[in-house]
Amino acid sequence: MVKITWKIAGKDDITADIPIGNTLMEAAVDNNVPFIEGECGGCLSCATCHVFVDPDWYGTTGAPGDFEEDMLDMTEVERSPTSRLSCQITASTELDGLVLHVPIPD
Amino acid sequence: MTIWHPSDDGHADLSDHDTFTRGVPHNTFARLRREDPMAWCEGGQFRGYWSMTRHEDIMQHNRNTELLSSARGIRMEDQTYEEYVARRTFQETDPPEHTRTRIRVGKAFSKPVIDRQSEVVRGLCCRILDTALEQEEFDAAALISRQLPMRMLGQILGIPKQDLDWLVTKGDELIANTDPEYTDHILDRDDTQAYRFMPFRSPAGADLFRYAKRLMEERRTRGEGGGVLDLILEPDDGDNVISDVEFRNFFCLLVAAGNDTTRYTISAAIHALACRPELLEQLKRGDDAIWRTAPDEFIRWASPTMHFRRTATRDFELHGKRIREGDKVVYWFVSANRDETRFDRPFDIDLSRSPNPHLAFGQGGPHICLGMWLARMETRILLQELVRRTARLELAGDIEYLRSNFVGGIKRLPVRVIPETPST
Ligand code: HEM
Ligand code: FES
Repeated sequence: MVKITWKIAGKDDITADIPIGNTLMEAAVDNNVPFIEGECGGCLSCATCHVFVDPDWYGTTGAPGDFEEDMLDMTEVERSPTSRLSCQITASTELDGLVLHVPIPD
Repeated sequence: MTIWHPSDDGHADLSDHDTFTRGVPHNTFARLRREDPMAWCEGGQFRGYWSMTRHEDIMQHNRNTELLSSARGIRMEDQTYEEYVARRTFQETDPPEHTRTRIRVGKAFSKPVIDRQSEVVRGLCCRILDTALEQEEFDAAALISRQLPMRMLGQILGIPKQDLDWLVTKGDELIANTDPEYTDHILDRDDTQAYRFMPFRSPAGADLFRYAKRLMEERRTRGEGGGVLDLILEPDDGDNVISDVEFRNFFCLLVAAGNDTTRYTISAAIHALACRPELLEQLKRGDDAIWRTAPDEFIRWASPTMHFRRTATRDFELHGKRIREGDKVVYWFVSANRDETRFDRPFDIDLSRSPNPHLAFGQGGPHICLGMWLARMETRILLQELVRRTARLELAGDIEYLRSNFVGGIKRLPVRVIPETPST
């Protein structure tokens, strides 16, 4: 298990223990994190699992892969320099304590 | 409101299109979910197949394309390899090939790009409704539901206005190929051999192929047309352009996929408003919040795309059944959307349902509907404009269902609309 925190502007943070090996999209859906739908089940077809990785953590999560890079142009809230699709990040020990910011649509 | 029918004793024949002329056989799906969630079904004129009916099972398998592939056909009926190759679109591919094409066309249908079209959509909805509501009694399926989706798609793609009526007709023939009202070439009754390389084995497919070819040539010589087609025809980062065949098949896919689906959603929604006046009241009183959740609830309720098929790439077991390599497996999205283990009161329409984990768009896998943002926006705006104009809405006769177990719903919807007296 690793601790992951989602920060949601105007709402309480959500912190949860996530089994190693689960994707952070699955983790968000399991914990009812608002605005993270993960509609394509992690197949890089929907971009509804978009998160902003906290800048302090971006070095650890790493940059998006090629397909993910293209899909980040299709997110509802415009991408930022630390944007990732959370279905492409898997919970691992290095990510214990990771902080993600949830993009809020207008 | 539930469309259960005494003739559905829990053992309806899911392969028979006639079953669906009485509405979706929900008793049968409920029994299968409960007693036989991976059920072998005889195909009648074609090979039998497995019916997967539970929400949880579909969610678990839809992303597993290595086990259950789209690359050997996605319709219930069989096709030869040659037919399959001639008609194939990216919907009949698996990742990573699928992912590449999907990303090529994805931007044009992404939420931010579609949102920019909302005023165009609203204008179109207003024109369609103002014409329909000139009469007090009319067939809402013909005058509202049928009119919107193709015009919308045409506008968004940047297709010339004068072609839109023709496209509406071809779209009908193409997909409703099992209902005699829409086609002279009924798939399971007539000899459709001559059209076996065409989309949906229908002559309308041939017409659309020709139209797509011309459209593409015109675009390539004249340059930009203003619609999202430009985004699709643009070279990608690697300087690749979409090939003629790819474009032609993609265009036919859009016409087929974007037409009837949205149409039956709108008809189901209007039918619900007519049968349950409290829903109309709720929408009239409602604020922005209800318009964020209502469209998906109507789409769940309608589930116009009742199933898609996959093929097993190796033997496996599920719920005590042995599935063999090459067996067809059908995902019944329409059943998953009434799964009582996933939805609270699945047979009720709850306009504020949230979260709403329905599978009407094929959620949970890579082929999740490309047009879902467009479909959601169309449904929302059309209903907003309808509700604004309507004081009372009632049925004015018997409804009829399309003869199809694939994409279907209400095809005739006689209604009486008492207009809202203009307040301004
Ligand atoms: C309420 C309306 C709609 C419903 C219920 C619906 C349903 C679906 C479903 C269930 C799939 C998944 C197919 C599979 O799993 O093999 C799908 C795919 C697709 N839909 Fe829709 N659809 C709707 C509207 C539209 C519209 C308006 C368009 C076009 C503008 C569209 C274009 C497509 C395309 C191109 C695919 C294939 C995507 C792929 O294979 O990656 N759909 N749709
Ligand atoms: S869940 Fe669809 S792209 Fe991540």
